[in-house]
This record gives sequence, C-alpha cells and structure tokens, in this order.
Amino acid sequence: MKRAPAIMAFWLATIGVACADDPPAQEQVQSDISTREIAIQSNFTGIEIVLFGAIDFTSVPAIDETQYDVIMVVRGPDEPVVMRRKERTIGLWVNGPSEVFQSAPSFYAVLASRPLRAIAPEATLKKLGVGFAELDLGAEPTDEVNRARFRSSLIRLKEDRGLFLESDDAISFIGRSLFRGSVDLPVSVPIGTYTTQVYLFRDGKLLSQDDSTLQVHKVGFERIVYLLAFRYPFIYGLIAVVIAAVAGLITWAIFGRRD
Amino acid sequence: MLQVYLPIAEISVNLLVMLGLGAAVGFLSGMFGVGGGFLLTPLLMFSGIPPAIAVTTCANQIVASSVSGALVQWRRDNIDLKMGAVLIIGGLAGAVVGVWLVGALREAGQADLMISLSYVAFLGLIGGLMLAESIRAIQRARAGVPARPRKPGQHNWIHGLPLKMRFPRSRLYISAIPPLLIGALVGFLASFLGVGGGFVMVPALIYLLRMPTNIVIGTSLFQIIFITAIVTMLHATFNHTLDLVLAVLLIAGGVVGGHFGAQAGQKLKGEQLRLMLALIVLAVAIRILFDLVLPPDDLYSLTPLGTKL
Repeated sequence: MKRAPAIMAFWLATIGVACADDPPAQEQVQSDISTREIAIQSNFTGIEIVLFGAIDFTSVPAIDETQYDVIMVVRGPDEPVVMRRKERTIGLWVNGPSEVFQSAPSFYAVLASRPLRAIAPEATLKKLGVGFAELDLGAEPTDEVNRARFRSSLIRLKEDRGLFLESDDAISFIGRSLFRGSVDLPVSVPIGTYTTQVYLFRDGKLLSQDDSTLQVHKVGFERIVYLLAFRYPFIYGLIAVVIAAVAGLITWAIFGRRD
Repeated sequence: MLQVYLPIAEISVNLLVMLGLGAAVGFLSGMFGVGGGFLLTPLLMFSGIPPAIAVTTCANQIVASSVSGALVQWRRDNIDLKMGAVLIIGGLAGAVVGVWLVGALREAGQADLMISLSYVAFLGLIGGLMLAESIRAIQRARAGVPARPRKPGQHNWIHGLPLKMRFPRSRLYISAIPPLLIGALVGFLASFLGVGGGFVMVPALIYLLRMPTNIVIGTSLFQIIFITAIVTMLHATFNHTLDLVLAVLLIAGGVVGGHFGAQAGQKLKGEQLRLMLALIVLAVAIRILFDLVLPPDDLYSLTPLGTKL
C-alpha cells in the first residue's frame, strides 16, 4: 500500500517522541512464542519456533484502513567471539589478523512483514538496534576498514550456520489483527536465555512493543554430560577414563583371554 | 538417520558413521598391531570434529584398546613394571607440557594449524620410513635372502649417564634419564596429537635401551594406558575438549573392529601389512597437507572466546 509523502513526513517528524512515550490511545501488540523452553537432547536436530501475536485496537476509536507492520527480533545470549583471517604464509594458510567482538549475539533473527527500511526509518531501527546493519557487536576500537570486513564476515559465517537470520517476508497476517512468524533454530543453537521483541509499526511509527523470553537448555544425559564437563571436569575426565578402562577389560575378557 | 548430538563438540553426527570410524580404525590397529590414534585423530578432524576435541577423545579411546592389549601381555608376563613406572613419570611431564601447549595455541588461534602441521611431519616421516623398510623387505623376500636381524650399534653413550637403576625384568642396569626422556616425548605426543606413541616407544626401547623385544610391547602398552589416561584427564580439566558421547561411540566401534582386524592380520604377511599401513599413513599425511596448502573455502573463521557457563 502506498502512502502519501506528506503523511510519511509527518510521522518521520514524530518518531523520536513516539519511541520514548507511550500515549494511551494507541494500538497495543501482544505476542507469545510456541514454546518457551527448548530442550536439547541426543536426538536434537534443530527446531522451528513460531512467534505469534495480535494487535489490540480497543483503545483506538476509529479503525481506518492503514496497514500495520510487525518486526520480530529473537536474540540469544551475547558472547565474546574472535574473528580470524587466514593469510598465505610460506605456502600455508595460517590464521593471521584477528578482531575481537565482545558482545556478539550467539543467535539473532529479525523477521519482518516488509523490508525493514520500508517499515521504519533508519534512525528508528538504529535506536532499537534492529537489523544486521544496526547490530552492536561490541567491536574493540581498531582501524575501520578491517573492522568492517571482520564484521561482515562474522555476520556471513553466522548466517551460513543458521545462527543469524534476516527475513523480509517471514511474518504473515491472518486478517487485520493476527500475525505469525517462524524461526528455525539449527542444531548448533547456543544454550541460554533468549529474548524476543515484537514491534508494531504503522506508517513508520513505533506504536507498541512486547517482549518475552525463551529458554534453550540441554536436558537429560546431554545436560549431565555438559554440566560435568564444565563444572566438574576432573570427575568427568575420570568417568571417561573408567569407561574406557572397563571397555578394555571387557574386550580382553571376551576376545583376548584365549591365548 | 540416527543422528547423535555431541554435547561438547556441539555438532550432530551420524551414529553409524562414528561407530564405523571406530570400527575401521580398530580393524586397522588390530590388523597392524598399532594403537591407531594417529589414524583416528585425523579421520575425526576430516569429519568435522574440532582438532583439539579429536585429540582428547582419541586419547581416551586409546585407554580402552591399550588396557585390553596390556592385559594379554600381562598374562604372558611381558611387562617390566619398574621400567613402565619410570616411563610414566617422564610421560607425566611431557603430557603436562603438551596440554599446556594445546591450551596456549588454542588461545592464539593456532592450535588447529600446529596440530595439522605436526601430523603432516609425523605421519610423513613414519609413513616414509615404513614404506622404504617394507619395500626393502619385500625385495629381499623376492630375492630369497633371509631378513637379517639388525646389528646392535657399537657405541652406546647411554651407559655413560648418571642415575643408574636396575631393571631386573629387562635385565638392564642403565641410567633412568633415557627412559624418562622417552616417556616425556611419548607423553607430549599423546597430549598434542592424541596418539598412543607406541611407534616411537617401541623402537626407542629396542634400539636405544636394548630391552628384550618380547617385553617391549607389553611395557609400551602398559605405559600408554597411564599416559593416555593422564592426558584425557588433563585435557578434560583444563581445556574442556573431551566429548564423552563421541568417546563411547569410538570405543564401542573400536572393540569390535579390533577383534576382526587381529584375525585378518594373521592371514597377511608382515611386509605386506607394513607396506599397506605405510601407504595409508602417507595418504592421511598428504590429505592433511592439502588442507593446509590449498586455498581454504573461507578465509575467515569465528571462535567463541572464554569458558562456558
């Protein structure tokens, strides 16, 4: 749907205010996630989660024909990462320059009902930190050219692994009020507390925001192994050695005793 | 599909592929009478397991195969416990150095490269020597010349060293320094490359220390149990690179493969076996070298920093 440039300009002018205040007579957005807990166990090969929500018009007196836009952000816990670039050294490809990013989200998905730039102006997106272009990865101050290359490679590598995702047409409306979007979490999905943010926009203006959280953790045997390995590594190593020794003993008892 | 999630490597692997890998290497090690760590570690690396995790998990797998091997030797009274103890003390020092080095290199982002490079050098050397030796042996066999036992060297500097100890089982009275150093080298190799180190230990004990050959295999296996156990524990504690699920799969595969490999090995001639093993070892070395020399698919790599939890 095309909007009159005059209206666009009007909303652009009011954006700065709109984000901060929350005037009472506005549409509200409510949302939820298909699952609030994801359990990783031995048969885990990835999972699809569905975010859905509804626009609440009750506080708005007259419903006009304007179209609403929704942006959803799913973000995993931040972690420091190091990016390295291989360089050819005496015929071998060796890790050379590196760049540390202190707070790269371990998972980051942005779903939108339309291209981000069409939904909201850059200043708004920047303020909300929505979209790859606006993502703060916590880069340490080094030279600009290198950082930009490392930054784009980080995003590309994360995208390749299904850990970063930006999709323009991933949210579908059911009628005027209901909407849904789905995100695939890959097998390597990092564990921790995820946050989801659902933003409701109209004519480039942020009307309402709804946040929730989502837990990803390992359960059962995988959890025990993981906890042991990182909290009680000595006992973990001991268990592994004992298992191996017993396996060797059994092998000998079955196959080796004859001679 | 039978996908299994590895909790530490954080990847999903095929159950049958990993069991098969353990079985294949177990088969080869049973057939050739070698530990197999030097084949298993690179094969795991080829299948996408991070090198540092491959090294630790292989060390753990070798505990299993060396326990069953050592028990067989124990029954035949082929283990020099005192020599084994001295080798283990040396091995402990070497293992600590290796574990520390892997940790430091991982931090610097060079662990994968250095492990790969060491493998190329090591497998290239071992494979080359074995190839040359087995070809000579086959030529001799064709010409009808009986294989000559190697002559003992004339000069032996080892007898001049201090700290002499008596090793009654091996009928030796030598300095403890050479066994300590051999143990340290093997301990280092075990922690850095995830190999048992039998292919270094056995010739060193025979040619340097002049231990009786029948006792060498048992003593080497006995020492490898402890060294790989120590290496497993050290890596698990300080580098968090042990994947228990992967280890169990490899052990299970290795047990079965080892048994059938040993049966198959009895049907082949020694020189042929060594020639085959040499070619396999060289092929693995060349494959690793290719990965280092060919332009990588992606120049950039991403590594999480810091410990988890």
